[in-house]
Amino acid sequence: MAAPCRRMAARSLFHFLSFSRTAGGNSGFRQFSSTSVHRATLQTKSVTEKASSPWTLMAAVCLQRLPVISADCGPIERKFRDMMLQLELEKSLLSDHELRLLEDAERMSRKQADDYDSDEEDERGDQEIVLAQDLEDSWEQKLKSFQPALRVTADADKDLTSLERCLADSLLLVAEQQVGGEKLWLLPQTQWQEGETLRQTAERALASLPAAGFKATFLGNAPCGVYKYKLPKAARTESSVGTKVFFFKAILSDSGPPAAPNAPFLWVKKDELQRYLKPAYMMKVDRFILNL
Amino acid sequence: MSVTLSRCLCRVLSRQTAPSSFLLGEHRHTVQSPWFAPVMTLKTSAPLRAEPKKKKKVDPRREQMLRERMRKKLKKLEKVPPELIPIEDLITPAKCLDETRERSPPRLSFEESEGRALLLKEWCRYKQEQHIAEVEAVELALEAQREALEELKLESEELYQSALKPDPLLFPFTHEGPAYTPPKTKYEAPDGKYNNITKVYTQ
Repeated sequence: MAAPCRRMAARSLFHFLSFSRTAGGNSGFRQFSSTSVHRATLQTKSVTEKASSPWTLMAAVCLQRLPVISADCGPIERKFRDMMLQLELEKSLLSDHELRLLEDAERMSRKQADDYDSDEEDERGDQEIVLAQDLEDSWEQKLKSFQPALRVTADADKDLTSLERCLADSLLLVAEQQVGGEKLWLLPQTQWQEGETLRQTAERALASLPAAGFKATFLGNAPCGVYKYKLPKAARTESSVGTKVFFFKAILSDSGPPAAPNAPFLWVKKDELQRYLKPAYMMKVDRFILNL
Repeated sequence: MSVTLSRCLCRVLSRQTAPSSFLLGEHRHTVQSPWFAPVMTLKTSAPLRAEPKKKKKVDPRREQMLRERMRKKLKKLEKVPPELIPIEDLITPAKCLDETRERSPPRLSFEESEGRALLLKEWCRYKQEQHIAEVEAVELALEAQREALEELKLESEELYQSALKPDPLLFPFTHEGPAYTPPKTKYEAPDGKYNNITKVYTQ
């Protein structure tokens, strides 16, 4: 009973001192004295903390594949786009190509008129007259000969393990891992080990996924979210009250070789997350995943 | 054989006399000494030929003054401020001011113009909602991060400090944005040629 009291007293003192330090401002001597006292308490506190922090630390990685194609326009967006195109056409000037079209049309009408005198035309020599309409037709032919890849493939969309599904949305990697006796769907995580930063733990979590060669760029050293849960009262001991899971954001840069079909991870959109994650976990994770 | 001998002798003799006349100047007549010139020759006596030129001490100074004046004139000319490089985007090309290019203004019915005004207002509302949603989402994410850092601080100061450090390897960060169609696997892009006709100005 003495130990927790001492720890709690040290923690409250630390909080008080840190608060006073930040609120201190520019009072020189007072700040100096408070920091020296603070350092002494900090040392004792760190010793006590390292010895008995009841929370196990884990780091998880929130790996996202950003969208590959632009999203479809909604109804109002489609109407607005059409209106803008119309407005821009009305306010513009005639381009060179359009002028050429008009000239050609005029020349054709003059040729078909009864009193046509070819000598009045400008000298063109033996050049072949290429009509602007012919140019347009040839350009259209060229466009038709190019087949772009399909935007939406219904089969790929249904396969949750493939990376090619839902190219217009950002996908999140979810893995099935063993947590305290049961298999749960969650963002890939591992336990923190002494001597490494939490970001390195998250990188290890990504690398340790079975049969996955993902290359990711981690966005910074700071965690983007935290989820802490206390173990059920029966499992609680002096040294482990619960776990704190820190999440780190990463963007997929290279998917590597295609994974085996039985690999225990899925690529899901934000709306589909609810089916796989536990509600309390989902609430915390929901906050930092932006679906913009 | 005697003829050739005599010829050789003549040649040798002429060779011997030739250098001596060359040494004594351009005149063919071999002058024994420079002070006794024959009457018919040009009186190029040694004193006349050997007289050194009178060096006017004013000359180098005059030349220097000339050079300085030239330099000052050049500096004055160079003081003109350099011509400004024209910004081509801000100059309307003459093509656009051509009157033959104007379209006939469209005649819109009342319903159509009303419809356009209403669509603009709807669009304004839609974009505002989108913006508010974005700002809220970003604020939520920031709040989540702040909470995470607080919890980390409670856990261990060392990990907290290493989390606060900036990552130097992150930038420059590039990512290909979304296109209209996904990239084709095994697509060979045709080789393109282009002539760069941008105008380069020097000041």
